[in-house]
Amino acid sequence: MSDATPATDRPRLDLRGQRAHGDQAFRYLAIGAAALVLLVLGLIAITMTQRAIPVLRTMGLDFFTSTTWSEHDERFGALPFIWGTIYTATIAVVLSVPVSLGVALFITQVAPSWLKKPLIYLVDLLAVVPSVVFGLWGVLMLAPHLGRSFLSAGIILAIMITPIITSLAREVIETTAQADKEAAFALGATRWEMIRAAVFPHARSGLVGAVMLGLGRAMGETIAAALVIGSSAQIALSPLSSGDSMPAVIANQWAEAGATQKSALIALAVTLFVMTIIVNLIASAIVRRSMIRSRGVGG
Amino acid sequence: MKTNTWLAAAALVSLVAGPACKGKDGDAGSASGKMTEGDKGKTAEPSGGGGGKVAIGGSGSTFQKAFQENSIDAFTKDHANIKVTYGGGGSGKGRQELADLVVDFACSDSPYKDADLAKNKGGDVLYFPDVLGAITVSYNLDGVDKLNLSPDTLAKIFGRDIKKWNDPAIAADNKDAKLPDTEIVVAHRSDGSGTTDNFTKYLDTASGGAWKLKSGSTVDWPKDTQAGNGNGGVAQIITSTKGAIGYVDLSDAKAAKLHYANIKNKAGKFIEPTTESTSAAADGVDVQPNLVFSALDAKGEAAYPITGQSWIIVYAKPANKDKAAALKTYIKFLLTDAQKDLSGLDFAPLPKSIADKAIAQLDKIQG
Amino acid sequence: MSLGGELTRAFDLRPKRSWRGVKSNLMTVLMAAAVGLIAIPLVLVMVSVFSKGGAILFHDFPSFLTADIPPVRKAGPGMGPAVIGTLIITGTATLIAVPLGVLGAIFLNEYGGASKFARLVRFMAMVMTGVPSIVMGLFIYVVWTMHFHLQAFGGALALACLMLPIVINASEQMLRLVPNSLREASFALGATKARTVLTVVLPAAGSGIVSGSLLAVARAAGETAPLLFTIGAARTINTALFTDENTALSARIFENAKEAVVNAQDRGWGAALALVLLAFSLTVIARVVTAYATKVRK
Repeated sequence: MSDATPATDRPRLDLRGQRAHGDQAFRYLAIGAAALVLLVLGLIAITMTQRAIPVLRTMGLDFFTSTTWSEHDERFGALPFIWGTIYTATIAVVLSVPVSLGVALFITQVAPSWLKKPLIYLVDLLAVVPSVVFGLWGVLMLAPHLGRSFLSAGIILAIMITPIITSLAREVIETTAQADKEAAFALGATRWEMIRAAVFPHARSGLVGAVMLGLGRAMGETIAAALVIGSSAQIALSPLSSGDSMPAVIANQWAEAGATQKSALIALAVTLFVMTIIVNLIASAIVRRSMIRSRGVGG
Repeated sequence: MKTNTWLAAAALVSLVAGPACKGKDGDAGSASGKMTEGDKGKTAEPSGGGGGKVAIGGSGSTFQKAFQENSIDAFTKDHANIKVTYGGGGSGKGRQELADLVVDFACSDSPYKDADLAKNKGGDVLYFPDVLGAITVSYNLDGVDKLNLSPDTLAKIFGRDIKKWNDPAIAADNKDAKLPDTEIVVAHRSDGSGTTDNFTKYLDTASGGAWKLKSGSTVDWPKDTQAGNGNGGVAQIITSTKGAIGYVDLSDAKAAKLHYANIKNKAGKFIEPTTESTSAAADGVDVQPNLVFSALDAKGEAAYPITGQSWIIVYAKPANKDKAAALKTYIKFLLTDAQKDLSGLDFAPLPKSIADKAIAQLDKIQG
Repeated sequence: MSLGGELTRAFDLRPKRSWRGVKSNLMTVLMAAAVGLIAIPLVLVMVSVFSKGGAILFHDFPSFLTADIPPVRKAGPGMGPAVIGTLIITGTATLIAVPLGVLGAIFLNEYGGASKFARLVRFMAMVMTGVPSIVMGLFIYVVWTMHFHLQAFGGALALACLMLPIVINASEQMLRLVPNSLREASFALGATKARTVLTVVLPAAGSGIVSGSLLAVARAAGETAPLLFTIGAARTINTALFTDENTALSARIFENAKEAVVNAQDRGWGAALALVLLAFSLTVIARVVTAYATKVRK
């Protein structure tokens, strides 16, 4: 791996004076493919906002603060769904973080080397199971006991984001300098004390970033929430009450929606888009900064 | 080189983005992908498979969905050159799609509002009643197999004035039952539903003022209730939630093995929803000239009070001759041979007088 | 192994009748409990999927995977249209996303370097991985389905949009690992840049790109939300990409999960098993490819 210099440092090698046509064509092809990313994101922003405007014109800022969602009267207030999204994602993170952290610490600090790989595979296996399968299990096996509620949705979301947080946490924890760990032991620390002294301070911001990425994913998850959250347009505090979240509302109401309602649903999608992007950006910035600090690698 | 890169990228982006941004066609209900089992593409193009096949597609009421699917299966056996598909999605969706000419027929549990008739792109519509069915009040309560409910209690439950199962109003009608101290979870429809329309109309007329939320295909339900898609969706909320109560047509309630309540009818008796009590409700109903009628809150000792009716609606002048002929054949089948299958599906057949009027109306389909 | 390494064995063997030692071991137990907690839902879900799904999937073996979808209440198997749909839609999405993603990664690593444009693209690709799948689905509905109606291709487009940033990220990392000496040697022999990339760099990074792409495919096959708005709901097998509605395993599982009739729910479990087996096989193949390539390199 010592040969792999980062793209930034590599000289632009080209020993021919002029480039052949095929070479140029290939280059433009590659540029075009990369530009697609910009194109798609730009189109998403433009077209969706365009379609969200009708409802925003009718409701103004009330769209974000009103709690009435009525196809009947054509008044759409998104507050209960914003609440539901935040609430279920929070429950998911609260349930998932201790477990993810525990697993990551176990894999990196406790497990003997023969156990590490199988455990990593176990976590990856959880990540591969499609969310709709968790949703099916949730609605037929979990909801009858816990009801269709924020809690049921939160549990399923937690199951889904745990592998994400675990692998990121693992990566971050593994960058702890061996020297720091040995120093702690040399001073007579127990393993837990070593973790608190050497691993946590070093990995703290990276872990925060990992958790936020999980949060972002939980906010955007549609299917599992749509099946077990209960589809009630209310803002409730008890985790056992039913509610609704933005992606679930879109998924459940789209097929029967008239034109104004469709515009309202698209406005919900734009809101969700913006919220998840903000969370993800903050998270990536934090993770990247912690990786840079630990590895000393540029960008 | 850097400038070139930017230019090339900008050129490519604008080339593709230009045409894509231009198309802002209206939403004429064209992408209505409600996916329940038993759906099939319901394009209204006269495409057909090949060699003289005609395709007619419909959508709408989930109340009569089981009946439509069953009839399509039987119909196709004898009429291989006519392909019928039915998409469900709720009465509101069916009426909307027929208005927009997306489907050839709509099944709906309630007629068009007068104000909406003008929006129908294909002209005048004809209503053909094809099925009658009971709307049950199904519930999930351990240890309670029999439940009596009167309309004002019902109105208070669904209006969330009564919140617990052991409320005195419920206990008054059920002296023998052991009603637990459980929260009532109310389930209703999230989609535009003829079943909702009929159920709320019933509460409006029969509850003596206890029902405050008006009637319609969609209703402003109280916030702490749960919503499901289609009769099947509500049934599923009930089966999987302890203490739940909701309105589901008899056919779907039985298929989901739900318990349902006996409702007090106009004559003061608590009646169980069955095909017999449904038929009893239909006898002596007032039928308007356009074959619209209501079997709700019917007179008669044995009548089940929440009896719904459903129509198959087509334009008097369908898109072309082949479709007109195909629609005539299919509707005739629904009004004659298919009626025999109804009780097996837990619906009730039409009273002969109404069926005869409907068959006579078939001649009004032009083309 | 260093002192620290030896001491990080499963249990803390230093003298401890002190609270500190006990606390450390307690924490170790908690960590092990976390592993147990993560295994519980996996086990519970897999048990349900394999037992309920297996009952219907293997009942009459191929018929579940080939028969048409029966009406909700009928008993019996039938998810053929969904299987075909998933294969067609995911396959098309792969054909779109993988070449474009690899090309994009080639640009970022071989041509773009640290230029402003390349950094912008890299940043946006990262942003794109965070777009909720339902937003992608609505987006494709607005720009494609509204004009071309419900069809398999719309679903493929939506899935391709989801896969693209993942493929770009993974491929770029693989390309980065290819030693520069290979490129220099190729240039020294007189090859053009395009030729170098295609004949030297890509094959060297090949296995990594393949396994990364397979994981992206496994993820796409399981997505439901983007398909809800774009492909419709067919009940019979439809192999056409651009004509008529189609369906997919993930979408069917979603619909059947909302039904009250046990027959429909059973078919949902069967479809879930089929989907899980598909995702697992793709993951296993990806790992085998990586392992084989590592072995070859050694």
